[in-house]
Amino acid sequence: MLTDWRAAAARFEAEVAKAVVGQERAIRLVTIAIFARGHVMLEGDVGVGKTTLLRAVARALGGAYERVEGTVDMMPTDLIYHTYLGPDGRPRVDPGPVLARAEDLSVFFFNEINRARPQVHALLLRLMAERSVQAFGRTYTFPNLQVFADRNRVEREETFELPAAARDRFLMEIGLEAPRDAAVRRTLVFDPRFHDTDALVGAVAEGVLDHARIGGIAAAIQHAVRAEPSIEAYVVALWDALVRPAEAGIRLPGLDTATLVQGGASPRGVAFLVRAARVRAWLEGRDWLVPEDVRAVFTEVMAHRVFLEPVHELQRGAIVPALCRAAFETVPAP
Amino acid sequence: MGARVPALLLAGLLAAPLALTAGTAAAQVRSVEVRSPRPFGIFLGDLVEAQVEILADPDFRLQRATLPQPGPVTYWLDLRAVAVDDVTVAGARRVRLRLTYQSFYAALDARTLEVPGFPLTLASEAATGLTTAAVQVPGWSLGVSPLREVQPQRREDPAEYLRPDGRGGRIDPGPDVAAAAGLGTLAGLAALALAHDRAWGPFRTRRGRPFATALRVLRRQRAGAEPDQAYRAALLALHRGLDQTAGRRVLADDLGDVLARHGAFRGQAEGLARFFEASRLAFFGGRLPAARAAWPLAEAEMLLTRLAAAERSA
Repeated sequence: MLTDWRAAAARFEAEVAKAVVGQERAIRLVTIAIFARGHVMLEGDVGVGKTTLLRAVARALGGAYERVEGTVDMMPTDLIYHTYLGPDGRPRVDPGPVLARAEDLSVFFFNEINRARPQVHALLLRLMAERSVQAFGRTYTFPNLQVFADRNRVEREETFELPAAARDRFLMEIGLEAPRDAAVRRTLVFDPRFHDTDALVGAVAEGVLDHARIGGIAAAIQHAVRAEPSIEAYVVALWDALVRPAEAGIRLPGLDTATLVQGGASPRGVAFLVRAARVRAWLEGRDWLVPEDVRAVFTEVMAHRVFLEPVHELQRGAIVPALCRAAFETVPAP
Repeated sequence: MGARVPALLLAGLLAAPLALTAGTAAAQVRSVEVRSPRPFGIFLGDLVEAQVEILADPDFRLQRATLPQPGPVTYWLDLRAVAVDDVTVAGARRVRLRLTYQSFYAALDARTLEVPGFPLTLASEAATGLTTAAVQVPGWSLGVSPLREVQPQRREDPAEYLRPDGRGGRIDPGPDVAAAAGLGTLAGLAALALAHDRAWGPFRTRRGRPFATALRVLRRQRAGAEPDQAYRAALLALHRGLDQTAGRRVLADDLGDVLARHGAFRGQAEGLARFFEASRLAFFGGRLPAARAAWPLAEAEMLLTRLAAAERSA
């Protein structure tokens, strides 16, 4: 069964790649997130295809798809209720975007998440952590829900940084950049196919994966992929190196690694790391973990969980990836 | 001139002092006296010391802010230094100022010049308040004289008006040369120490030979340990050798990169690929026997021997 699903995953990746070219790594990471049942944050410049990628993923994944745009004045109730005056002039209260498709909701896409206020982040936290919300006097559960969020990293005005607890709930933060390859760039700009996003996403086959069964498959993958003691020791050593880089012997130019990292890299984060690494091993056709599986997902899963001393926080975009790289160059495997 | 000053001062002090009582001084100030050295025979540039002695009621103190500041006094006279000695003696307060003046008066004939006086303030601080008493130190006179006659004898060569230069002592270069040689030696030693620390020039050490070390470890392990353990140790030794060669930890997927950077080992690409396969299987796949069967210890040793040879020739 797992083998069939691996083939389905490959088909899924191929379908998404029809709409989004030059982003093989991002597509692979999103696929891993789907089979690890984790929420994903996409980060990148304006117009690199974050939304297109997510629309293509939602279409190929099947199931209901809802999308909201974060704004400064958005309140949690805006996600849950929709109030308006009906044609007869009477006020109406209808379920909002989160509840509209009720339990069938499989992809909830939160655009520009950092524009929303902390109240909204708190609701999202509950939605992500427990896959449920309280509304209309009862609890709605979303067993297949996967939250995708994006934020652009250019603007800082009128934005609200996500609380650490909410960021920790995201399995991955995937940085999306415009492709570097000249041929791909030319295609993106000159091929009219890429100018009409709706047509582009429309070309993606619908429902390649059966979204309702992914939960079961995800659990099966976690049980099927073995981790030997040496890989366990390796992951723990990486974790230590990330939290206490100086003791692991990591030196970064221009930085004092003894006072660099304030905290973070929670046990939940490392558990997510192993979860994602197992999915990667399964996608590669192995039923045991190797260090490469961990490395393939490490930066995306761990970088946003590391908190630097405030003085370095503004440069985290450069420091944390360098720290992750240094950890892999320092920790021996096996 | 400098040596003459104390003698002059002594003579002045012994000579009948000019005792003057300041008219403005209030009842609390008992007397003001200026003692100057001999009042004549002062030449251009001479230092002249004068002593001012003020006797006042015992609870009065000099307000030091009212002291004259060293600096020009008149166009021909500078005050160079002021020293104060403020003590209680026999039921009175005695304030002694030692003033050092310097005269710049280029006199054409012997004449007497007036040194201006200056005011001072004494103050008595009691619980009821502050009582001040103004003291006017009176001026005194100084007799200045020319160094030579105004119109000297006529000479043919104007240079003859000048006195010959004094003879300077000979300077012995010995100590300086010795110091220079000593410091030069020290600098050389410091440069050697720096070169050693930075591994410059002759201190550049030869690159280590990680594969040769790994081969030694493998042979030592094979002799003693139990086969499975020896096999694991051999794989680990090869891993560490590769890590050291690459300068970072090498995973199986990095092999291509490492070989591209270290061309000397390109010939061993196939052997290394098989090594990584076996290592993965042994450490992460949990199938050590299968790994040993696929890539036995003897092959590991052969690969390491070839790698060590490539390393030597690189």
